[in-house]
Amino acid sequence: MAEVASNGPVPDSNGQIDLSTIPVSPEGAMTDATNGANGTKSADNDKIVTVFDDPSNFNVKHQLQHTWTLWFTKPPSGKQDWNELLKEVISFNSVEEFWGIYNNITPASELAQKSDYHLFKSGVRPEWEDPQNKHGGRWSYTFKGSKANDETWLNIMLAAIGEMLEDDNDNEVMGVVVNIRKAFWRVGLWTRTAGQPPKGRKDDADREDGRKRLERIGKRFKDTLNLPASEGVEFSGHADSAHSGSSRAKAKFTV
Amino acid sequence: PVERAEPTPGMQSLKSARFLELKEEAKYPDGFKSPNPALNQAAQRKGRAYDKDFLLQFQSVFKEKPSVDWDQKVKETLGPGDDS
Repeated sequence: MAEVASNGPVPDSNGQIDLSTIPVSPEGAMTDATNGANGTKSADNDKIVTVFDDPSNFNVKHQLQHTWTLWFTKPPSGKQDWNELLKEVISFNSVEEFWGIYNNITPASELAQKSDYHLFKSGVRPEWEDPQNKHGGRWSYTFKGSKANDETWLNIMLAAIGEMLEDDNDNEVMGVVVNIRKAFWRVGLWTRTAGQPPKGRKDDADREDGRKRLERIGKRFKDTLNLPASEGVEFSGHADSAHSGSSRAKAKFTV
Repeated sequence: PVERAEPTPGMQSLKSARFLELKEEAKYPDGFKSPNPALNQAAQRKGRAYDKDFLLQFQSVFKEKPSVDWDQKVKETLGPGDDS
């Protein structure tokens, strides 16, 4: 396809090229063999080719607002502790990458008992002890049966990476998780705070703001799960859960 | 001896593609819809929000593995433990 530049600019006697003689390619024209997909910043003249136009030869991708990391908790097969069982799988920051991963990984419905998937913002470990989680909590809902519904888990991940769970300045969502257990499976949404006012502020207005913010997020989480209004989604603080010695701490809020 | 697998054109496209800029609008082929514009109106947004219907359109379109050694990686990371 590439045209040979037979009548291209010719250096003058000083070896300089008169810039006005360099032909400007018409919009959309691409004359090099890489079709613009060589990482150079010639963006302005490139025709936008999305994955929908050509899945094997596209030149733009869709950036996510955050970089996300997928983690997996392996079912214990001996006496390993949690740290050995929690594995970082992959990080990604585009819609296209998400689907490449999702389409090539074990669906939640096929995971063994005692395994989890965690999809967390990059830099946050999916553990209570992480400094960014320890003052926080989680919304969660428990389904009966040990076989997860793939569509439900997919919807939660899409809501997270698509930034549909919180408003732009809420800065609460840390990650989402699915736990597969013997007689139930559970989905969760981890938040940075547990509704406490910002440091140094103890007035009631702030406390109320925190609660409202978390409830708004919980409501969106519940909508994502497509639950009937009669079902409750519960919030508990990680610190309370840690003190009670289990993940069955009394719910702090319910929506 | 197994020959080293080559990345597919799709994998290479993903790697070399640039991010669509915030102020840029892609024109999608007929039958595909754009992200809900109402989500991305705030001028000070730090990034893009995408509704579920927009995101689901990629499900059957992009199926490339993240890397040539992906299957091996998944087996090592998600597979049964060594002693089971």
